[in-house]
Amino acid sequence: MGIRTFVWMVLATVLLGPVSPAVGRIKLITLPVRERVEIQLDHANTTLVEEERIVPLVRGVNQVDFSWANTRIDPDTIIFRVVPHAEENEDAPEIHVLSVSYPPNEKALVWQVSSSASGSARVRISYILDGLQKSFSYRAVASRDESTLTLSQYMRLQNLSNEEFGESEIWSGFGQDFNKPIGINETREMLVHRFQNVPITKTYTCNPAKFDYLDKKENKLRVHMHYVIKNDAAHQLGQASLPYGKVRIFQEDSRGTTAFIGEDWGKFTPIDDEMQLFLGVAQDIVVRRTIEKHEQQHVAANAYHHEIIVKYEIENFKTEPVTLNIAEDLEYVRREVRLEPRLPLEWELGNRTTFAGGMDKEKSTLKDVVFKVDLPARAADGATEKVTHRLHVFFKNEW
Amino acid sequence: MRYTICLILCLMFAAGAVAKNVDLSTVPDRQSVQLTIYNSEDLTLVRETRRVSFKPGINPLQFSWANTLIDPTSVELRFLEHADELVVLDTMFPHDKPQMLYWNVQSEFDGEAMVEISYFTSGITWSADYTCIADADETTLRLEGFVRVTNNSGEDYENAQIRLVVGKINLVEKIAQLARLSIKEVESLKAVDRNQLRQQAARSALAPSEGFDFYESGGKPKEIIKEGLSEYFIYTVEGTETIPNQWSKRMRSFEAKTVPFAVKYRYRPQQYGDQLVRLYVLTNDEASGLGTTPLPDGVVRVFRNNGRGGLSYLGAESIQYVPIGDKIEVNLGPDPRVIFEIVELKSWRDNIWVQLRGAEVFRRVDGGNVDIDAKASVVGWDVHALCSARIRNYTDKTIDVEFRCPFSGDVVFRSELNPVLHDFRTVEFHTTVPAGQKQDHYFELLSRKGRNEKQGNVTLETARIVVE
Repeated sequence: MGIRTFVWMVLATVLLGPVSPAVGRIKLITLPVRERVEIQLDHANTTLVEEERIVPLVRGVNQVDFSWANTRIDPDTIIFRVVPHAEENEDAPEIHVLSVSYPPNEKALVWQVSSSASGSARVRISYILDGLQKSFSYRAVASRDESTLTLSQYMRLQNLSNEEFGESEIWSGFGQDFNKPIGINETREMLVHRFQNVPITKTYTCNPAKFDYLDKKENKLRVHMHYVIKNDAAHQLGQASLPYGKVRIFQEDSRGTTAFIGEDWGKFTPIDDEMQLFLGVAQDIVVRRTIEKHEQQHVAANAYHHEIIVKYEIENFKTEPVTLNIAEDLEYVRREVRLEPRLPLEWELGNRTTFAGGMDKEKSTLKDVVFKVDLPARAADGATEKVTHRLHVFFKNEW
Repeated sequence: MRYTICLILCLMFAAGAVAKNVDLSTVPDRQSVQLTIYNSEDLTLVRETRRVSFKPGINPLQFSWANTLIDPTSVELRFLEHADELVVLDTMFPHDKPQMLYWNVQSEFDGEAMVEISYFTSGITWSADYTCIADADETTLRLEGFVRVTNNSGEDYENAQIRLVVGKINLVEKIAQLARLSIKEVESLKAVDRNQLRQQAARSALAPSEGFDFYESGGKPKEIIKEGLSEYFIYTVEGTETIPNQWSKRMRSFEAKTVPFAVKYRYRPQQYGDQLVRLYVLTNDEASGLGTTPLPDGVVRVFRNNGRGGLSYLGAESIQYVPIGDKIEVNLGPDPRVIFEIVELKSWRDNIWVQLRGAEVFRRVDGGNVDIDAKASVVGWDVHALCSARIRNYTDKTIDVEFRCPFSGDVVFRSELNPVLHDFRTVEFHTTVPAGQKQDHYFELLSRKGRNEKQGNVTLETARIVVE
């Protein structure tokens, strides 16, 4: 396409007195080209473009036209700044923007710029441009033993702004600068950072409220397998928040290549938070969940405590031992025994809870509780050990 | 370019009679024009001067304003010269030409006189906007204020002196509506106070225009002179400006190069939604290089020097009129480097009261061991919630955080956070979080429910909050 949609025109005439932009005028114009472009992508959802041009000005009042047909510049965000000379120069002309006029039915404006002397001035124009947008994606390659991965973070710049940008300095707000051109309707993907040897935790989690059942009639829970990446320095990360984006995960195989093992949307992850990536359902870990007991204990009048025991029968058919996270949303459990959630949750664990080490306090909240269960590997003869655990909970003062 | 407003001196008719078919007329040019534009209403007072030749006797003057948005009831003629020798005998609005009037002027002399015609028009508006560019270390900023005049009145205004009125005036009718009616229709409207308030609001505050000297800019942006009048502020753009129909023009009204400001973080769910937001707070006073005028309503766009020669866009927000001495607060939205969450750690109920059905008998349930007649219901209880306002600061500076949150019902707020009541139900406390640190600010909310609820306000209690 290559349409030049931004047009600069500088009237090389000294305009005596106020200019009437509506007046038809015979004019000699110069067309200063872009000397430099910076694309600032550090704002979450707004792109700021800054371009520098060398504008010839004559002593007096100059008219500088700027138009942006077929593009979506926010005209109220356009800033005109004169770039000062690198070294102090007393002879540098004094330049001022006197006014800006906006003609009707046109994507254009006219600056009236005064200059104390004839000569060229480097000016920087900044504006917010719609249609030039960024997104992030990741490529993770896990080691064979799934203990670490190499996380490559990419920024994808899509140019639907209808304007072509030549060599431009592109800044994502963190990481390195890029010096790349980007044409109309082009998409350019750039490697922002590659994080090596990022320790990962492979987790297996069942959570009936969140992940549902694999087979409800058989009471078999769906067990999700995740890679968990912690965004902190101890895990070779922690330099900045990880933006939202798709993560494609590969694993090194025995032939020296990699195999694709799944993908997930990585949520925005601040420093010190975890990014949990769902890779797939682990069908070799079978968890059967039943509510073994529900009794109500009369407190007074129409107030009751409700005693509930949830039983988990777990088998690991894998050839290696694993740790399973059993997560429960207590609001969900309360609804299961048909308690109306009119009142805030008030609960306490009963002494028949069997999980060793108790509740995972770091992961648990008022509403969600998490327990860890270590499961032995399947025996060499193929036999599996069935592990049974119970969650014993009282919902108190319900009416 | 077209002139749709005309003043015609009719020469061919005697004693004020309007010629129907054969006319000869002269068209005196505008000598000057002054626009006084109100931003609170679609209202502009136009004053224009024209030099008109008069002969002794009756001189008919025709004034027309085809395709413009002038209020026909507002058109007035005043004589700036020979005022004691010129009298407007009557004003006539012809029935067949809605946007026209005739004045019959009795002259006692033969010669030229400068006349001033004034009227209200709609379609010319002005607005203010502001651009802030903060230093890289976010301690001072450069603030530029702009005024933007937009002319959709249907008329070109060349070399007009421009005055902008800051403040809210009272209008009983909209000028744009009046402009679309003929004088007959306008008169049929409820006319009692129609002009009075409007005229008072606009004219009494505004002195007659001075001479409109051509302004040589001298290479600097024109100064915009600010002065206070009554409840209003008037910005007068130095010299004259040309604003053709459908064009708009933006001019700098002030510049303050090093305005000190503070970065604040606030959690005010009623005002900013359920999120911690970051604000730039500065003051419209002399110490800040401002304070010479109130700041009219307008959009503030905020950028920051990114320390690499370029700018970072931080956000934009509309601000309301800022009086001299008042604060300017610009909400920049959430800061991804500061994580804020309210975590509920524990919840429990106590002080439970039951009532026997059909009787005014109440008993308190203590420890859950008292068996009370099943024909009773819980009628009062307290709910306790143990919470933490958790803040993680990943910026490289200590941050000031304000928590201001309303609670409904009969609530006790227990903490060691030194809170104050912003109002009867809104709790406020302040804290600072050093760079790179995480802090938990614990508090307990006790909400009395049912029969226990005796008040509709928040009580503050100092108490050590124990977290298991």
